[in-house]
Amino acid sequence: MTEQIVIAPLVVALVAAVLTLGTKYWPRLQRAVSVAGSLAYLAVVAVLFETVRTGGILTYQLSDWDAPFGISVVADSLSAFMLVLAGVVSLVALVFAATYVDEFGQRLSFHPLFHFMMVGVSGSFLTGDIFNLFVWFEVMLMSSYVLVVFYSGAEHTEAALQYVVLNLVGSAIMLLSIGGLYAVTGTLNMADLSRRLADPAAYGVDPAPVLGLSAILFAVFALKAGIVPFHWWVPAAYRAAPAPVSAVLAGVVKKVGVYAIIRLYFTVFSVASFGGLGLPGFAGDSLLAFYGPVLFLMAIASIFLGGFGAIDRDNLDDLLAYSSIGQVGFIVLPLAIGATATGTVPGTGGTTIRTLAITAALIYTVNHGLAKGGLFLVSGAIFEAVGSIEFDDLGGLSERAPVLSVGFLVAALALVGVPPLSGFFGKFLVFDTAAQALAVDAPGARLALVVALAGAILTIAYVTRAWNRGFWGPPSEAVDDAYSPRGQIAVALLLVVAVVAVGIGFDPVYEAASEAARAALDTEGYRDAVLFLGGGLA
Amino acid sequence: MTQYVLAVVLGLLFGVGTFLVLRRDVVRVVWGVSILSQAANVYLVTMGGLEGSVPVFAEHGHAETVTDPLVQALVLTAIVIGFGTTAFALALTYRVYQTHGTIDTTDLGGEAQ
Repeated sequence: MTEQIVIAPLVVALVAAVLTLGTKYWPRLQRAVSVAGSLAYLAVVAVLFETVRTGGILTYQLSDWDAPFGISVVADSLSAFMLVLAGVVSLVALVFAATYVDEFGQRLSFHPLFHFMMVGVSGSFLTGDIFNLFVWFEVMLMSSYVLVVFYSGAEHTEAALQYVVLNLVGSAIMLLSIGGLYAVTGTLNMADLSRRLADPAAYGVDPAPVLGLSAILFAVFALKAGIVPFHWWVPAAYRAAPAPVSAVLAGVVKKVGVYAIIRLYFTVFSVASFGGLGLPGFAGDSLLAFYGPVLFLMAIASIFLGGFGAIDRDNLDDLLAYSSIGQVGFIVLPLAIGATATGTVPGTGGTTIRTLAITAALIYTVNHGLAKGGLFLVSGAIFEAVGSIEFDDLGGLSERAPVLSVGFLVAALALVGVPPLSGFFGKFLVFDTAAQALAVDAPGARLALVVALAGAILTIAYVTRAWNRGFWGPPSEAVDDAYSPRGQIAVALLLVVAVVAVGIGFDPVYEAASEAARAALDTEGYRDAVLFLGGGLA
Repeated sequence: MTQYVLAVVLGLLFGVGTFLVLRRDVVRVVWGVSILSQAANVYLVTMGGLEGSVPVFAEHGHAETVTDPLVQALVLTAIVIGFGTTAFALALTYRVYQTHGTIDTTDLGGEAQ
């Protein structure tokens, strides 16, 4: 029975999608089923998290085909951690959508699409097979295409067109690199892949092409995560999508790209070593040594482009979208340090800097998922209340809608990193990672510190500007006429409360994140759990 | 020989696909994407090796004489996905035409401002 819990999130989301499709003629029932489905999803994910926490890695071999011949579904601490984040954000967003998206839209397609998207997200977090990852990406993307173009007005179709074409090209490229990896290594199973890469001579694998193919794959993941230079679809898509969908796109779907980078590059490809590049800046002959500088550049570019871009937006959603680009930079920055720095953190009994780095990235992921999700919902509530999110039409919201404004302020302060909110620990761990790397003289650590500091200042700048223009000052005409969508404000505040709760009760979250980071780096454990428990290969 | 022919065909397909993706007409962009994904499929088939000629059955063939059937299964999956996404992209193109009155990407970009 414990085995089946691994695929339970997938099944629950799929059942919810089908049921909401079948109940579309009874809108109230459909809404109830949809919310119940999302609640059940969170419950199942929580059970899975607890099972993995106490029992270690769980695997499920589809149709009982032993790995690596069948498709493996694997839940380890990292997958479970990401799933819990997805469960929380998607539940709140869905409840918000139940009052936000118009009646017709909900009946038409919103609920099934939302759940299908969650099927794709869960599948991507759980799969142990790279081709299967492609399939789940497609499931997730196909639903997100329709959700982005949901209002199907002029600007929505245009944003969606960009988003669709870009991702279709991305999918073709992903297929190419997966095909190449299969031809070079002879397997698609991630655990088997890591086994073959760890001992290339025994399996007749040439590790050199793996570097190039994995780099192509990396571009696809960076596209999903919206990291510079693959970020340009982000603002248009987030602006076009309904607010609860933007919350999930920024809070969850983006994180699928981050997860894939951690899972494939830190768990699987990290074991491979090739002759070294012999280029300045690329030290060492591990595959990760190549990604270190690449991740650095992308993180720095993201932080600056997102930060500077967000400062002069004149629309709240645009600002949040650019801020998302910058914040993903903060997630990638510790990963860059983790990829370059080897060595242990002094005084911790052998915790490597790499573990600390991934922990920092995961904590930042949680913070960004909750805070940015909350901010997009707040932005949706403002749109509902005022009828616009252009800064020119806003102003003085703190007088007319004090509760909503407090929600915005708290979530925005979490982005900045003010204690005791979750963002403080996110930023703190990023700085800590950079400082520890500096202590062992890792290349780039000083630069990382400077960039993180500059990025933090940029965050303060754009958050302050949004607050000044939207919430302070005399209420504008539109704000004066605003009504108060109580239900939506209450739902949006749930994520804000989560931001505070994670900050105050930080210890269990930190424990979970560092457990997830250890799982991400425990290639051996992952390999053994997937390949041997099926009883097939010895 | 087959390898060379396929290599040239693949190169042509990717070239044509990229050329079309860079066109101004949205319908051509969709065709371009569609050709790119088909090119990826052809590429995937070649990854299974080209020498094998024996059907994959339990009684027949050995590892040396069969072509790897896995990639063909992968391609089938990818074709189905590509079919769905192309249909969606075309429907979206029509909707773009309805809302903008044009499918020229240059005009689209102008209207967004």
